[in-house]
Amino acid sequence: MAESGIRLDGLSVDFDGRFRLNDIDWALDAGQHWLLLGANGAGKSALAAVLAGHGDRLGGSLSGLPERVAIVSFEAQAELIAAERRKDDADILDVISEGTPAREMIFTDDRDAALAAELCTMFGLEPLLDRAFRKLSTGETRKLMLARALSSRPQLLILDEPFDGLDAAAQAQLLSHLHALAETTQMVLVLNRMVEAPAFITDVCWVSDGSLHACIKKDDEAWAELAQLMHLKTSDLELPPPDPVDRLPSLDPDKALVHLSKATVRYGDTVIFEDIDWTIRPGEHWQLTGPNGSGKTALLSLITGDHPQCYVNDINVFGYQRGNGESIWEIKRFIGYVSTALQWEYRVGTNLRNVIVSGFHDSIGLYTKYTDEQGRIADAWLEVLGMSDRATQPFTSLSYGDQRLLLIARAMVKHPPLLVLDEPCLGLDDMNRQLVIALIERICAGGETTVLYVNHHSVDRINGIEKMLALGSVEAA
Amino acid sequence: MGPHSGPSLNLHKGRSAVTFGLFPSDNPRLISMANYFNTLPLRLQVAELAKCRFMHLDEFSDGVEALRGKKMVVIGCGAQGLNQGLNLRDSGLDVSYALRQAAIDEKRQSWKNASENGFTVGTYEELIPGADVVLNLTPDKQHTSVVNAVMPLMKQGSCLSYSHGFNIVEEGMQVREDITVIMVAPKCPGSEVRAEYVRGFGVPTLIAVHEDNDPRGEGLALAKAYAVGTGGHKAGVLQSSFIAEVKSDLMGEQTILCGMLQTGSLLCFDKMVEEGVDAGYASKLIQYGWETVTEALKYGGVTNMMDRLSNPAKIIAYDLSEQMKDIMRPLYQKHQDDIMDGTFSSTMMADWANDDAELLGWRADTAQTAFEKTPAGDMDISEQEYFDHGILMVAMVKAGVELAFETMTAAGIIAESAYYESLHETPLIANTIARKKLHEMNATISDTAEYGCYLYNHACVPLLKDFMKPIKSDVIGRGLQLNDAGVDNARLIEVNAALREHPVELIGAELRGYMADMKRII
Repeated sequence: MAESGIRLDGLSVDFDGRFRLNDIDWALDAGQHWLLLGANGAGKSALAAVLAGHGDRLGGSLSGLPERVAIVSFEAQAELIAAERRKDDADILDVISEGTPAREMIFTDDRDAALAAELCTMFGLEPLLDRAFRKLSTGETRKLMLARALSSRPQLLILDEPFDGLDAAAQAQLLSHLHALAETTQMVLVLNRMVEAPAFITDVCWVSDGSLHACIKKDDEAWAELAQLMHLKTSDLELPPPDPVDRLPSLDPDKALVHLSKATVRYGDTVIFEDIDWTIRPGEHWQLTGPNGSGKTALLSLITGDHPQCYVNDINVFGYQRGNGESIWEIKRFIGYVSTALQWEYRVGTNLRNVIVSGFHDSIGLYTKYTDEQGRIADAWLEVLGMSDRATQPFTSLSYGDQRLLLIARAMVKHPPLLVLDEPCLGLDDMNRQLVIALIERICAGGETTVLYVNHHSVDRINGIEKMLALGSVEAA
Repeated sequence: MGPHSGPSLNLHKGRSAVTFGLFPSDNPRLISMANYFNTLPLRLQVAELAKCRFMHLDEFSDGVEALRGKKMVVIGCGAQGLNQGLNLRDSGLDVSYALRQAAIDEKRQSWKNASENGFTVGTYEELIPGADVVLNLTPDKQHTSVVNAVMPLMKQGSCLSYSHGFNIVEEGMQVREDITVIMVAPKCPGSEVRAEYVRGFGVPTLIAVHEDNDPRGEGLALAKAYAVGTGGHKAGVLQSSFIAEVKSDLMGEQTILCGMLQTGSLLCFDKMVEEGVDAGYASKLIQYGWETVTEALKYGGVTNMMDRLSNPAKIIAYDLSEQMKDIMRPLYQKHQDDIMDGTFSSTMMADWANDDAELLGWRADTAQTAFEKTPAGDMDISEQEYFDHGILMVAMVKAGVELAFETMTAAGIIAESAYYESLHETPLIANTIARKKLHEMNATISDTAEYGCYLYNHACVPLLKDFMKPIKSDVIGRGLQLNDAGVDNARLIEVNAALREHPVELIGAELRGYMADMKRII
């Protein structure tokens, strides 16, 4: 392997038009052992395969790959099996071909025979060596693939879900073998279950939508965040129900949730924005964008009632024409709200469960007793977030990103007709952004809540949000 | 004291009182105004002083109904005026602001505050005649001129609301008979009144009805609805009297709340510097120390604050505080006596009439003290270190709280009032010192509280001179350097019992218990 290590610079790769990796920048240095994580279909196996020379390069560069690269993956396994089948089909003789015996697949000139023998013993492959490769079971094939790869004495070993399909004993044996191998051989692992990650892994990256995100050193904090992200992305959790007793009054589904007519905010002689007409109908998810200072937050707070000038504008929200004796709490109960400012405001010494329950009361901190059912719903949300074990810990002890996730759950706990997310990713690192977006996408997919999403990072696009209002150029799309 | 109400926190400081011709002597009609409390027979004085009751949440089930649809006109758009108005409007009430023509024409800050927040703003003449409730949220020293200006404009059967009773009780303002007079006094600075409301909570609030002005018996209903409108009912409401509010509020703010913290800050800082403690450290220990040690007070009274000390330190703090209580007792009694017989208010009003000469002079002196001029260092001080290195500060808080409470109750103020105006508010004031030292404290409290604070400080610093002489850095600045933290069992039991059995602890435990289901769940 080259001293400079393996470098992927702006690499884009196509896989038969079925999948694409986009603009990957990745540096694998000597001594690093990488773990690739991601949801199903995110592209982590594709990225691993690229290192083994698969795919058609569309752009960018890949350099520093060592001579001997070995890969074990279901795709490689399937390919080998397909190759065997083709061999069979190609056989014009009218005899039943047994196909290549397993032994011939392992004991080849370019492999270390002694090591291959040792591995066969380890995996209990010896009795199977004379059987045809394609007659082996999936698990047996996998063991054979591993033995093949390992005995080739690779300089770079790529293992895509190596533990899948192995029995417990074989998993343990493989793991201890890999531990020994890690001293001399660089490895890239793809795993779906983080708990399987071997201790020798030094670096982790998160793959999503064919792109590489969040290359991080494996330390405890990063590890916990990744675990949470995996949980949100890959577990099949339902959003907890609203409070069955204290239900929101139902709204007319044919009426707009929000209607602003010629909305204007000004301070003294400074006009922040003026004459904005905006109607938000149930089920229309909106994105609000605009440069700093264009008044995004001011516009939102006219809707939420937090802006004092809401009383001098023509605003109808949830059937209330503002300024006619309604209280702010009658408005807020229909809205879930998350912003960086809220997080700054949320500085009360209370625990995680109470923070979620406070969403039922639209309060910062919890000032009333809650019902058992509300407590159970809060716990169900903590389960969604992967924070069940921390229900009674203080909110302030959470990381910044976890606090944000918890506040999103707080905003959602009552299943509000309108969920306002004011730059929900602001101030978050890439990993936490992924987490927040994963949670919001789950919510958008849930159906009953209309999402109003504010940001100026176009990268943080959320699937399911179609409508856009851009401030600064005040045109409703 | 109630910050606004009480030490009457407000941001109107510096506005010239003279502009409004405030002084009784300026207006022949007012010369007859006399100290209202002193006109009452002893029987009524005692009865009014003893009024203070913690109201239960279910007494507020009518919400804001008593005020719904009524026109509420606020006078004064400083921190209390603006923030109370924002809360009331967000509770569905009709709020507008009456300003002097000049304030509107010159687009003064009060005009900007009100109009940028989307309120209707008008002159007294435009708005007061239509008002059902007039909320007087101006500083104490403007009350006489403001009330005299608006009273003739107020419609028959309307309501005048105060957030501090000084004008009625000490200046003897006589309000027209058909007008209902109430007090709604949030016990926090205006910014907190708003911040807590936005959080979905409120701040503890004192309400009262002026019995001489409750012609239709609707005063209590209006005051309760007003308290709901500001969110106060969620945090706990005390029903009191104008008299109990004023006499306890003045006492608390002058002594333990502002006076003791100022005197303690100056003495402790100078002592630490004298003992060779780093000045930046000393500055920081005091600036943030009051807030830290009184946080313990808030949760569990003097007992809990003292329990945060090691056993040897607790016994030392106890002994120091007992010494200080003996030395300072006559001073606390003098303050209470002067408040009760009106000496304090007439002295202060004389300074008002003299263009605040004393107040402004003392304010300038405070700015020149070594503590005030030394910035806090950037070292880390852990929460526990504030206790361990601030034994004398803990002793001062204990001495001040207990003495103020003892003196108030001895003067006929009931324990509930005395508790709120001493122990309960100490952390609020300590918080202002943490923000920007004595300057912030004195800027946030009312001029009345500030004047009383300086009076106290000027008497107390010399009073404690001999006491301070033998004090070393072990009790302020460096902590006890003990190899052995052992104490005598009998002595520790004696000290613990004395702490726990003090009357302020007994009433405190009861009131904190009442508040338990209203208080934020921690």
